[in-house]
Amino acid sequence: MTQNFTSLPQELLQLATSAHVKYIQSLDSRKDEYDYWLTEHLRLNGLYWGLTALHLLGHPEALPRAETIDFVLSCQHENGGFGAAPGHDAHMLSTVSAVQILAMVDAFDDLETRGRGKAQVGKYIASLQNRQTGTFAGDEWGEEDTRFLYGAFNALSLLGLLDLVDVDKAVDHVAACANFDGGYGVSPGAESHSGQIFTCVAALAIAGRKELIDVDRLGRWLSERQIAGGGLNGRPEKKEDVCYSWWVLSSLEMIGKTHWIDKEKLTNFILSSQDTEKGGISDRPGDMVDVWHTCFGIAGLSLLEYPGLEPVDEVYCMPKSTIKRVLGR
Amino acid sequence: MPPKNKVATKPKATESAPATITTTTTNPTTTTSTSQPASQPSEPTTVLERSQHRYEQTRPFEAARRQHGLSKLSKEDQKGWICDQLLHLTDRLPAASRSRLLGPKASKEIWWTINGTNSIVRGLKYKHKSEPHTTWGTDRDGHDVGSYSIERFDERTKKRIALTALQVSSRVFRENVEREKRGYVDARSGQEVIVTEREIDEEKVRRSKMAALKKELYGEITGKLASSVEWEDVVPIPHEEPEGALAAIAYPAEYAEAMSYLRAVMSKKEYSPRCLRLTEHIIAMNAAHYTVWLYRAANIFALGLSIPEEIEWLNEVALANLKNYQIWHHRHLLVEHYYPTIASDPTALAQFAKQERDFLIAILSEDTKNYHVWSYRSWLVGKLGMWEDEEELKSIETLIDEDVRNNSAWSHRFFLVFSNPKYATPGKGATERDEKVTQELVDREVKYAQEKTYLAPQNQSPWNYMRGVLVKGGQQLASVQGFVEEFVVKLGEGEEEEEVRSTHALDLLAEIYAEKGENEKADLCLRRLAEKWDRIRGGYWEWRRKCLTKSAKVVEEETEKVEAVAVA
Repeated sequence: MTQNFTSLPQELLQLATSAHVKYIQSLDSRKDEYDYWLTEHLRLNGLYWGLTALHLLGHPEALPRAETIDFVLSCQHENGGFGAAPGHDAHMLSTVSAVQILAMVDAFDDLETRGRGKAQVGKYIASLQNRQTGTFAGDEWGEEDTRFLYGAFNALSLLGLLDLVDVDKAVDHVAACANFDGGYGVSPGAESHSGQIFTCVAALAIAGRKELIDVDRLGRWLSERQIAGGGLNGRPEKKEDVCYSWWVLSSLEMIGKTHWIDKEKLTNFILSSQDTEKGGISDRPGDMVDVWHTCFGIAGLSLLEYPGLEPVDEVYCMPKSTIKRVLGR
Repeated sequence: MPPKNKVATKPKATESAPATITTTTTNPTTTTSTSQPASQPSEPTTVLERSQHRYEQTRPFEAARRQHGLSKLSKEDQKGWICDQLLHLTDRLPAASRSRLLGPKASKEIWWTINGTNSIVRGLKYKHKSEPHTTWGTDRDGHDVGSYSIERFDERTKKRIALTALQVSSRVFRENVEREKRGYVDARSGQEVIVTEREIDEEKVRRSKMAALKKELYGEITGKLASSVEWEDVVPIPHEEPEGALAAIAYPAEYAEAMSYLRAVMSKKEYSPRCLRLTEHIIAMNAAHYTVWLYRAANIFALGLSIPEEIEWLNEVALANLKNYQIWHHRHLLVEHYYPTIASDPTALAQFAKQERDFLIAILSEDTKNYHVWSYRSWLVGKLGMWEDEEELKSIETLIDEDVRNNSAWSHRFFLVFSNPKYATPGKGATERDEKVTQELVDREVKYAQEKTYLAPQNQSPWNYMRGVLVKGGQQLASVQGFVEEFVVKLGEGEEEEEVRSTHALDLLAEIYAEKGENEKADLCLRRLAEKWDRIRGGYWEWRRKCLTKSAKVVEEETEKVEAVAVA
């Protein structure tokens, strides 16, 4: 890829790797910040975002492996599901994060010996599928969202237990979420949204059913997400946001159309959204950083083949090396 | 048998003991037996000093040893010290055992020595300030209470006494509450025990005083719930965090307390008004906690509370927490629960639909593109069958009038029109042609989209919409060619002349030309897009150009080859 960076100011070109590593490491020590407990229900997810970023930055050892495994296992319930934090009820999203974390640190054995075991986790996830409609709920409360469907596919395939669920019915549901503009929504008839598109396309990828996608229409819609500043937005006429660098870009990667956006401009947008001193990436230049945008910004840069980053798997949003180790491909 | 105890008074002790103790000077050879007291303490300023002072007064031999060392004491003093030690080391033993342990002769000698040296039998135990269990602890600022002045310490003691007194009264109250619960009959009056309003009020006052004193003395913060009479019978379950947790969570006290009470009632599956209030309390602090919502819903249903009233409350919370998923799923649950009760009553149904719509309009005015609200809205239309509701369509049109760029509104319109079971085939995918859809409908929608396109030609939404409608109706794109050409003037006739008012128009035009087989014209459109009008999507336009002459598969392969070369 011929990228010409020399026309831009020096500071924009650098990914502040060590600052980002330090930022992620500092996250669990901010006990005096209100925001910390307000996001308690995202604690395990937060760990996944932080760990993924560290792996892609080439610093997987920056968070202690043993403590990571201990923490993840301490969130597990009898039914096999994981809560967002110890004492929190089990939920699909945190269960998926748990499986992804354990995959990255190669701790499925610990799950067998010290946790409830892979089979139990698979059983929990499978229990959340609505066998009539094929879609998945987040927990016993029943909220349904294609995010949960994708999460189920992601985790189950990593555990090698995808056959526990009715894949075809789920795929039918995803297909029903396709919209007139080429995108996908959270449920049939809902507006096309980049995040939901990622979940639908990735779910189809895992199920091996990408042929159901109208690649040209979807690709066109996705390419339109890039606005003048170089960043990507989530829907027409909305602001650009670094996290869409992942949702949109990985979707394009999955359908083989990343060359339909301007990669250099996107790279610069992500790099300008960094806090190069204190570390972390924000949703757009000048805003407060957080671990979510840090993760997806770095994942986006990895997809853009920014030098020095580990390759990321566009379907799982995890290092390609992990996916190779777990799935053998 | 030990002789009568000599209870020494302070002044006497100071006089007698030091006289037998030799003072040490820096020069060990000098042995001056002076009447200088070993360490005449100045008036104690802190309570710790006072204790030390008292100690020294009652255990002069031990004090001397600590100060000078055993070898420096006179023979008499050493003997005195040994007796003192034996006395204090064995003082837990009953007297009979002691004399058995020491033997009658040794006991006699010990007592003879004690009498001779006027030793104090009841001496204080030594308190070293480094021994935590023997100090007064720390105050709320972390300072050692031992360092307090005598006056300050006395004030503190007064407060502690006051707190104890309150705790005693409070305990009486709690016992009465317990008795009332069990239907206890008071032995004296013969009446059943009742806890009166006045007693409850007194207790509330008492509790706030206790909380204030605890805070002042020990820095302890007593939670609102722990002080409240209403939650008396519940034992809260505190949050358990594993040791050295990797992602440790710090709780502000109030939230931690509320959560511990929630865990307690959830484990007992209690459904009651106070639990409902508790969920509201927690939601006010953290609206994203999904477990709380689940439990709240369970309470609403178990208590059979009014759904419309709950929705009114929910509206306020929704307005205050626009980015929250849980609120909308809660609403979904409420409506699912409520629907069966109004399903057979068209008036009630219509009224409910109107109320819902009114709120949706209100909240969308705060955040016009809120994804949770819009997805709820589309679900509601299906659930309540609002397809034919004129007001629904009108409100969407109003939103588009206010902001033609509101893609959510356009998306909802498409859904409203083309998923309407009256005019459309149920279950048809959004991208599929629907034969049931009439030409009038297609024409109407195309016209609508075109009208709105003029307002902002570069706005993507009506272009996507129009295209989607044509596909639904199975209509050729070329049928709108005239309209599209209005936005593209003198294409390819030079930079000065060329005018493109909408890149989407140019895109659609390319597609129309390609549809008609006019590849050269199509290529011109795409080339101009890549060169000038939409450079950022250059990769896409180039691909489209290639597709004009080659199959998509070939183009893919070629693209991959180019990419591979660039990377290498």
